[in-house]
Order: sequence, then C-alpha cells, then structure tokens
Amino acid sequence: MTETRPRSRKSPYPLWFFIPAAVIYGVLFLFPTVSSLWYSLTRWDLSTAEFIGLENFQQFFSEPFLVKGLVNTLIYAVTTSGLKTVCGLLLAVLLTSNIFARGFLRTLVFFPVLVSTIGIGITFTVMMHPTKGIINVTLETLGIPGPGWLTNPALALFSVALVDVWKGVGLATLIFIAGLAAISPDYYEAARIDGATRLQQFFRITLPLVRPATVIVVTLSLIGGLRSFDLIWAMTRGGPGFSSDVIASVIYKQYQAGFYGLSTAGNVILFALIAVIILPFTLWFNRRGVEE
Amino acid sequence: MRGTRPYVTGAIALAAAAVIFVMPFVFVALQAVKSKSEASRLDFELPEQWLFWDNLVAVFKARDYQLALAYFNSTLITVISVTILILLSAMVGYVMQRRKTAWNKVAFIALFMGLMMPPAVVPTIGLLQEIGLFKTMTGMILIQVAYNLSFSILLYRSFISTIPRDLDEAALIDGAKPRQIFFRVVLPLLKPVTVTNIVVQSIAIFNDFTNPLYYLPGKENVTVQLTLYNFQSMYSSQYNLLFMNILLVTIPPLIVFIFFNRQIVAGMTAGGVKG
Amino acid sequence: MAELTLKQVRKSFGALEVIKGVDLEVASGEFVGFVGPSGCGKSTLLRIIAGLEETTSGTLTIGGKDVTYAEPSGRGIAMVFQSYALYPHMTVAENIGFGLSLAGRPKAEIAAKVAATAETLQLTHLLQRKPKALSGGQRQRVAIGRAIIRNPKVFLFDEPLSNLDASLRAQMRLEIADLHARLKSTMIYVTHDQVEAMTMADKIVVLNGGAVEQIGSPMELYRNPATPFVAGFIGSPKMNLYGGEIARRLNCTTYGIRPEHIRLSEGAGKWQGKIRHVERLGADAILYLDVPELGEMVVRADGETPFASGMTVWANPVEGAEHRF
Repeated sequence: MTETRPRSRKSPYPLWFFIPAAVIYGVLFLFPTVSSLWYSLTRWDLSTAEFIGLENFQQFFSEPFLVKGLVNTLIYAVTTSGLKTVCGLLLAVLLTSNIFARGFLRTLVFFPVLVSTIGIGITFTVMMHPTKGIINVTLETLGIPGPGWLTNPALALFSVALVDVWKGVGLATLIFIAGLAAISPDYYEAARIDGATRLQQFFRITLPLVRPATVIVVTLSLIGGLRSFDLIWAMTRGGPGFSSDVIASVIYKQYQAGFYGLSTAGNVILFALIAVIILPFTLWFNRRGVEE
Repeated sequence: MRGTRPYVTGAIALAAAAVIFVMPFVFVALQAVKSKSEASRLDFELPEQWLFWDNLVAVFKARDYQLALAYFNSTLITVISVTILILLSAMVGYVMQRRKTAWNKVAFIALFMGLMMPPAVVPTIGLLQEIGLFKTMTGMILIQVAYNLSFSILLYRSFISTIPRDLDEAALIDGAKPRQIFFRVVLPLLKPVTVTNIVVQSIAIFNDFTNPLYYLPGKENVTVQLTLYNFQSMYSSQYNLLFMNILLVTIPPLIVFIFFNRQIVAGMTAGGVKG
Repeated sequence: MAELTLKQVRKSFGALEVIKGVDLEVASGEFVGFVGPSGCGKSTLLRIIAGLEETTSGTLTIGGKDVTYAEPSGRGIAMVFQSYALYPHMTVAENIGFGLSLAGRPKAEIAAKVAATAETLQLTHLLQRKPKALSGGQRQRVAIGRAIIRNPKVFLFDEPLSNLDASLRAQMRLEIADLHARLKSTMIYVTHDQVEAMTMADKIVVLNGGAVEQIGSPMELYRNPATPFVAGFIGSPKMNLYGGEIARRLNCTTYGIRPEHIRLSEGAGKWQGKIRHVERLGADAILYLDVPELGEMVVRADGETPFASGMTVWANPVEGAEHRF
C-alpha cells in the first residue's frame, strides 16, 4: 500500500546539460589558464619546463622593451576607454534627439564595429602614410604639416588608439542609447519646469541616470583595451622599434622567439592587470548607485 | 525656427558622420576598382576604368586560390562553431536559470572569468599539441566554442528569465520528459535571442584574427583574416588588389548585419543592459 | 473519475513549514474548493496534488493508487494554471494536442481527438490561431481543452478566473460549473474569492496558515463555522466578530453575529448605536454603526431602509443566529 520513498525525485532540469559545455570550457580555457600560473615560473620549450621562480616577471619589470609594453598597455586602455565612453555618450545623446535620418545615422556609426579589424588596420595604415596618405595630403592642402602618424615613435600608439576608438565607438553608442532610453522623460520635464538648461539637464539628470550603461561601456572598453592585439599588430607590429608594443604583442613576440615561459608570464601579468583594475572599479561604481 | 532645428542639426550630423564614418569605406571601395597605377596614387579620384571584376578575380587567383580556400575555411569554422555554441549555451543557460543548485555560483564565476580574462595562449597550444588538435580545423572550432561560451551562456540565461516557469510545468503535466521540455517548449521560444546570438557570434568568429594566428597557422588551414594580413606584404605595390581583398573580407559581415539589423539591437537590449 | 485522499500531508521549505498536516477525502465527481487568504498554502497544496511539489511527509492517493511519489504526468491529473500557461509558439490545436504528441500518438488520432475536444468548447474556429490572438476567455477555454483531452481522473484549477475582468468572471464561472455537470469529474478549485467557492463547490476546504480550519459544504460553513476565522471568511459582508472583554461578558472567547442577522428598530433592542455611514446598493443597504459596548457593527438591511446616517437606533440579533466560539 505505501511505497518506500525513492531517491529524491529528479528535477526536470537535468544537470547533465552542463557537461558538454563544461568539458570544452574547462579543458580548453580554464585548465590552460590555471596551468599558465605554473608555466610562467619556468623556462619552457613545450617539451621541458625548468623552474626558474620569478625570473620571468623580473625581466618584465626590468627590460626596457618589456616595461614599455606594460606602460603602453595601460596608456592604450585608458585612452581608448575614455574616448569611447565620452564620444559614445555624446553620440548617443545626439542620436536619441530629434534629428533627421536618426536611424540611418545609428547604422552608419555602428558599421565599423562589424568589419574586420585587420581590414581597418590596413586601410588606416595606408591613409596615415606620412607622405602619400590621404590624411596628410588633405592636411597639406590646408597648410598644416601632417605628422608621422605611425612612423613617429611618440605618436604611433596614439594613432592606433584613435583608429581603435573610430572602430569601437559604435558599440559604446549602442549601449548608451539603450541606457538613455531607460531614463523616463518625466525627469526632464520636471527639470524643464524647474528651469534647468539643457546643459544642466545633461549633468544633473542624464549623467547620473545613465550610470548602469556607463559602467558597462567603461568595463568592456577597458578590458578590450588591455587585451588589444589585432589592430596594433596590423598597423605597427609594435613598432617603430617597440614604441607601440602592448602586453598582447609582447606575448606574441616572445612566443615567436621561443621564450614560452616569458610569454606565459606576460599572460599572467595581463590577468593580474585586468583583475586589479576591473574588480575594484566595478565594486566602486556599483556602490555609488542612484536611488530612483 | 524650432521646426528646422532637427533638420539643420541632422544635416550637420549627417555630413560629419559621412566624413568620419563613411569616408574610409568609400576609400577602400574606390581603390579596389582602380588599376594598379591609379590605385598607387591613393586619392579620391574616380577610376578611369571600372576594374571591379578583374581585380576580384586576380585576388581570388592569387597564390593558388588561397582566398577561396580561406573563405571556405572561415565559413566552415564559423558555421560549425556557432551551431555548437548555440546548442550548448542554450542548454547551460536554461539549467542555470531554472534550477537552484550550488553549481550555479561556480558556473557564474567561471563564466565571468571567460568574459574578462584573456586565454593563456602558449599553454593552450601545448595542450592542443598533446591532444593532437593543434593546427587543425577541429581544434580551431573547439577553441572558438570555448572562448565564446561565456558571453553566449550569460545572454541566454538572462533571456530565459523572461520565459515563465508555468510553461515548463504545463509541459511536465502533459507528460514531457526534461529533454522534451527544453527542445519543444523552451528552445523555440528563444528564437529572438538565438538570432541575435548567431549574428553577433558569426561576425566575431569570422573577423577573428588572433586565435587563428596562434592555433591555426599554416597554409592548408588558412583563414580569411590571416590571408588578408599576409597579402599586405605581398601587395605592397598593388594597392588596388590589396583593397579589393579588404573589400571582400569586410563585405560578408556587413551583409549579415544589414539583413538582421533590427534583431541585433532588440536582442542586445532585452534583458542585456539592465542585467 | 476518481476519489482523492490526502493523509497527514506536510510540506516544509527549509525550516519553514507551509502545510501543517492536512487530511482530506474527496469523493469521485465532487467539486472541491480550496479557499483561504494569500499565503495560506492553498496553491502549494494544489501543486502537491499535481506533483509539481514534493511532500515532506504524508501520502496522497488518487483512484485508490498511491501517487505520493509519482510523476505529474503519471497521476491522472490535469491542471489549468492561473496564467493558462499556453505555449505561445504553438497553435490552439497544437497546444491541446501537445500531450498526445509527446506520447508519440499517430497524427490522425491526435487530430481527431483535438477536433472532438475543440467541438465541446466551441473552439473549432480558433484551432489555427496562436494564443496571443485570443481573448482572455478563449485562452481559458483552450487551457481547459488541454486539460480535458487528457481524460484526467482529477481536474485541478489554480485561480483560473483571477486574470479576467468581473463580467467575464461571472460568465466563466457558469461555464466551469456547466463543465462539471457535463463531465461529472472530480475537480479541485483553488481561489481566494469566497464567492467563487460558495457558488461552485460541493465542498469547501478553508485553509489558514497551512492548516485546515474547516471542511464542509458551503451552507454548512455559512451556518456553522467552526472557528472565528471561518466565520469571518465566509459570507459577505463579513460577520461581526468581537473578542476580549466583550466576548467574556457574553460567555465565550469570540462572539459573532452576521450583518444580515441583525434587525434594527427605533424603539428598543439589545444594543444601542449611532449610524455612522450608510451604503445603498439598491436591493440591500449596508449600515455602519458605532455601538458603545461593542465597537463597530455592520448591519445589512433592506434597500429601502428608512435609517440614515446620524440616527440612533436599536439593534437586535435574530433568534439562534448568534455564534459563540
């Protein structure tokens, strides 16, 4: 009459659904990430690994070209992130206001996000050619001497950063447009009644209330900037010399040269950079929430 | 005066956008159809002869039709990885959202790492070599799946929260087994976000340069981005062919985008920005 | 059609016990209403019967078979959800036939059964539509159709009318009552609206805080409520209930008298009070009195009652209608 209780009734949501993804992700991403911590402490040639302690890291912080890579990475990340955030927000404000051909413009701004980074890199490299490039040629006709965008070691990194912003601002704009759409027009109406100017409305209402989107844009672009490789490689290969090297290109160069341990140490440094910068940042931003 | 302001600002914005955002594309397109000598001038003059087809054929023929092979490889990698990605990430996102388990927290942290952290390339190469998947298409496909799982899973998990649990329960009562609930009730309702995901992932994987560079070097398995990169040195004097190559490489994603324009925007913002 | 028995069913979520030992016998073909305030556990109890929640202890039998640990689809039940839970991407026909399709029945058989079910609910002309193209009442009929086609031993309804507007609710109440009369199936109906329970059920189970307060026919509960809670829950407007000092003076813990069991007179009576407010509803009038020794008292009188706000009146309870708990 009464049945003995069977083992707890199965949930209709099977745990084995996790398995295929977990295997692929664990083996091809998590495992190498963990093992890189070990390998960064070795001199390695893929068949033998000789433990050398923190020597690789010491090299990173002493050899000038490696240090430059570190510093450049930070400069690049902050510059591109800052520009993308500011320009993205301004563009978004423009593209959510009542202007003609708004939808068309949004699509236009987003196009660069979709195209091949290498393609963009090559195109702009050609356009930035010091003498034949269309940019300098145009500047000449306006009487301004065109700089060596990619040939001047002091400028190379920034030139690439500008192209990066050109390519990526569309995504920031898209995210900001969504964030702006979430702000109820009631706030602006109340502010208008209170006599606020457009500028005041922007700083007192828009900026605070668009914070969630801002966090996302800043986080994504910082991470992207720190990890950036494709564009720099396509345009300068870290040159001239190593004036535009970043950690990602250093990792590749050391790999090509056969210094696998050093290359992996670069990876670990990149992890650390991202963790150290992003985590406190998101915590800080999220704590300063705005009560609706 | 009020009435014309939108138009005036709009016109100025349009002009500025045209210069900044469109001009580079026009530049590429123009050089791509010129002859070698005209293209080497790198200016905005219209070509005397419209050499679109000639240049296109020349680029495809180069190095034993390497571009054709590259197209085939890139497309294959993209299609297969995206298919696997969609299936696997929908399954995980579904169980993560529906089932209260300690594994969820673990999974969440693991996925967040995938979004932020760069892959450890050299150890991965070592690993691929051990399993014999280095420099293979299969290896590349699995890598693409692994690296894009985080984004995909979190996207699905977020969207699935909008599908009411009632439907699962009604299906249970109707006699559905867990597998059937997922494939016949939930998955069809995920179509909007699946479309978005397919578009976003396809474009990202097709445009990927770094990962094939590390994991798929070599002529037999060359991908589109790598080919373009290599052609740079090959075509240092033939700008017209170089730009035709660029054009050919940038066209497919643009086509995909124009086709699915509305879905992308809707999909990314629904449950996306606000977590 | 089958009978249903619950024996000492308990349910806890972690440390919180939400169903505290429920015993219930439902005869075959009976229409039973589960009523109670929000959070009383009526929906949880229904879901336990459906198999969507597991019991912490206790047994459940349907048609003589112990189904305490059976899968929902194996219990012989069908459920109509509060939100109807219609599959949005399927047509009405596919929605109704889904269970059969899952079981792998041949297409012709499914089509025939779906057509027959649709016929009885006047849904034939809607078979190719998707749920979003249906009105609230139509959606509910599809949900019912999906339940009927399973030929269940017990029908379960989880507040099916709460998403409808008032006029539609009255109409659907009739349709469900008709359905019961036609199919003569065992039905369990959860609602927070005591009017629905009173008008449709053969037997009502009043739940409060996870425990059964009383089980009985609507009139039984009305005439002889076992506890002050049931007394206050059944009947509208609510029974006047007085505890504390007042009740002690009247020899009980709680004293109750229904508004419709109080007669007002200008002359003399048991209690004197001042009328604070009168609501005239046409056929009835509800008067709110301030009675010094009792507090507030609600009285139901005829619609044409001469008494008005501000007047002082005498109130008398009807013989035998007083309740002492």
